[in-house]
Amino acid sequence: MKKQRLLPLVAAGLMVFASVNALAGDVKVIANSSVKVDTISAAELKRVFLEERISLGDGTHVEPVLEKDGPVHEAFLQEYLGISEDDLHMYYRALVFTGRGFTPKVLGSDAEVVAYVARTRGAIGYTSSAASAEGVKTLTIGVPSRTAERKLITRVEPDYPGAPKRLNIGGTVRLRVSISANGNVANVELLGGNPILGESAAAAVKQWVYTAGRSRTIAEVSLLFDGQR
Amino acid sequence: MHRRSFGLVLACLCVGQVTLQAQDFSLFDRKVQIHGFASQGFVYTNTNNWLTMNTSQGSAAFTDFGFSVSTNVTDKLRVGAQVYDHNIGNLGEWHPILDWAYADYRFKPWLSFRGGKVMTVIGLYNDTQDFEFLNAFALLPQSVYPIDMHDANIAHEGGDLYGDIPLGRRSGTLSYTVYGGERRDSYYGGYPYALRETAAPVNLTSNGGPQYGADLRWNTPLRGLLAGISRVNQHDEGKGTFVPFWDPAAGKIPYWEHTKQYWLNQYYGRYSKGSLHLDSEYRRTYINVVDFNGTSTGHVDVRGWYVSGSYRVAKRLQLGSYYSHYTMTTHYGGILGMAFPPRVDMSLPENHIYDKVVSARIDLNRFWNVKLEGHFMDGYGDGPYPDGFYPGDNPAGFKPNTNALVVRTGLNF
Repeated sequence: MKKQRLLPLVAAGLMVFASVNALAGDVKVIANSSVKVDTISAAELKRVFLEERISLGDGTHVEPVLEKDGPVHEAFLQEYLGISEDDLHMYYRALVFTGRGFTPKVLGSDAEVVAYVARTRGAIGYTSSAASAEGVKTLTIGVPSRTAERKLITRVEPDYPGAPKRLNIGGTVRLRVSISANGNVANVELLGGNPILGESAAAAVKQWVYTAGRSRTIAEVSLLFDGQR
Repeated sequence: MHRRSFGLVLACLCVGQVTLQAQDFSLFDRKVQIHGFASQGFVYTNTNNWLTMNTSQGSAAFTDFGFSVSTNVTDKLRVGAQVYDHNIGNLGEWHPILDWAYADYRFKPWLSFRGGKVMTVIGLYNDTQDFEFLNAFALLPQSVYPIDMHDANIAHEGGDLYGDIPLGRRSGTLSYTVYGGERRDSYYGGYPYALRETAAPVNLTSNGGPQYGADLRWNTPLRGLLAGISRVNQHDEGKGTFVPFWDPAAGKIPYWEHTKQYWLNQYYGRYSKGSLHLDSEYRRTYINVVDFNGTSTGHVDVRGWYVSGSYRVAKRLQLGSYYSHYTMTTHYGGILGMAFPPRVDMSLPENHIYDKVVSARIDLNRFWNVKLEGHFMDGYGDGPYPDGFYPGDNPAGFKPNTNALVVRTGLNF
C-alpha cells in the first residue's frame, strides 16, 4: 500500500528532475554589442557573475544581469555557477555589505533581460534559448583560446534581398558556424532572425575563411540587416 | 533601555521595508546602491551573565544596524561607506562607528587596491561578522569571533592589495590580500570594558596602533572546497587613567601600556555542497604586553577552534550545529605577577569555554529571518582577554557551566 502511494510521488519527482535538466541546455548567454568577444569560457562566465571579474581579457568592461527566480534562472545557476539561489543571494549580500561589489540588476523576463542588455554597455545576461536576441549578441560558451586562433581572414558581406529591403524589413540574423580545421566554413545553421535574411546571410558566411586551427570549431555569428538604410 | 532597543529596531525594520523598493538610483549616470540591515536579539542564560548583558534575567539589549552606500565612479573605481551601530549589553552603547569607507581600484584581476577604512580579512568571517543574515547561526563561534572584540578586529585604516591568481584548470585559484595600516579600538569595545571590570580597574580612553597582515585562500579544484591562512601583526599603545592598586593613596593617575608582541594566526577550511555547509577554523592570538605604566608584564595565549555544519532542510528552514573550543593561558610579571599567579591549567573552567551549539534558522522571506539557538557551555574563561564572561557582570562569582537560549531576528535590504 505504501509502495503504491509512493510510486506517483517518485514519478512526479523524476519528471521535475528531468524537466530541470532539460532546461539546463536551453539557456543562452547574451551580451551587449560593446562586448568584443564572441566566446567566453564557463570559468570566465562564472567569474563575471561572481563579480571576480569586471572586465574580460581584452579589457571589455562587463556587468552581470540576472533574470528573476524561475526555470531559466535555476538552469543558469545549475549549469554555469554551480550554487543555489539562496547561496548566490547571500554571496551578493556579502559583497555589498563589505563594499566589494554590488547586487546585479534583476529583471523579470527574457524580454526585459534582452532589452536591458541591448542598451547597457558591457551587460552580460542569459535567457531561454527560444527568446529573441534582437539587438544583442549571443555568446558561445567554450574555450576562448581555441576561438582566438580562428581569426576571420576573408569576410563576404551578405546581399540584402530585394523584397525585404523594399519593405524596410531588417533585423539581426544569428548563425551557428562550423569551421573546419583548414579554416573553411563547413556548415551554417540558422539560429534566429528572418528566414529570408538568414538564407542570404548563410550564403555569405559559407564563403568566409578563418585561420587554420587544430580541430573543428563552432562559433556563433550575428549579422545586422538595417532596414532603414 | 529595552523599549528604546525595540523602538529603534522597529524603526529600522519600517525604514527597511519602505526602502526595499528604492535601494538603487542613478546619480550623474552612475548607479548608486543603498543597503541596510538590522537585527534584534534576546539572550537568556540559566546561570552566569554573558556577553556583558544581564542574561540571567533574560536580556534584549542585543541590537545592531547598519547602512551602506556605494557606487562605481568609473568601471574600475568603486567608492562607498558603511555606518554601523550596536548596543550589546555594555558594548557599543549606541555609539556609531564607520565600519568601512574606502575607494577600490581594480587594475587587473590579479592586482587591485583598496584604501581608506577597510574591513580586515581574517579567516572566513571576520569581515562579514556584522551580517548575521549571512550565517546559519545567531552567534558566530565565540572562540574565534568573540563579539567583544568586534570593534578592534573589524577594520583598519590603511590600504589592501588583493587579487586572484588562477593556478590552472586542475589547480584552482589562489586569492590573496596583503594589508597595512592602523587599528583604532573603540572605547566601547570588549577590551576597555574588560579593563574597567578587573580587580585593578583601568579607564582605557585610547588604544590602537600599526597593523599589517595577509590572507591567502585557495579555492581548490574540488568544487566547493576552500582552504586558507591569515596572519596579523599588531602593535598597540593604550592610554587612560587608573588608581594604582599598590598605592591607592596616589589617586587617579595617567595610565599607559604597549604591546611588545601581538600576533594572530588563523587557519581555515570550508566545504559547501548544495544545501550542506561545513566550516572549521583555528585561531591563535598571542599578546605580550607591558602595562600598568611599565610596572607589569603580561603574556596571554588564546587558542580557539570550531567545527560547524549547517544544512538547509527546506526552503525556509536551515539547521546547524557547531562545537567551539576556547582556551587561554596567562603569565603576569612585575607587580601584577606578585598579585596574580599564572593561569596555565586549561582544564579549569576559568581558563576555557567549550560551547556546544544547536541552531535553527527560519527565513520568513529573503530579507527577514529568525534564529533560535541553544548554547551549552562548559567553563567561563574570565581572563584578561575578552571572551564573553566578566567578573563585574557576575559579582556573586561564576558557575562552571552556562546554558543559553539565543533568539535573534534580522532584516536586510
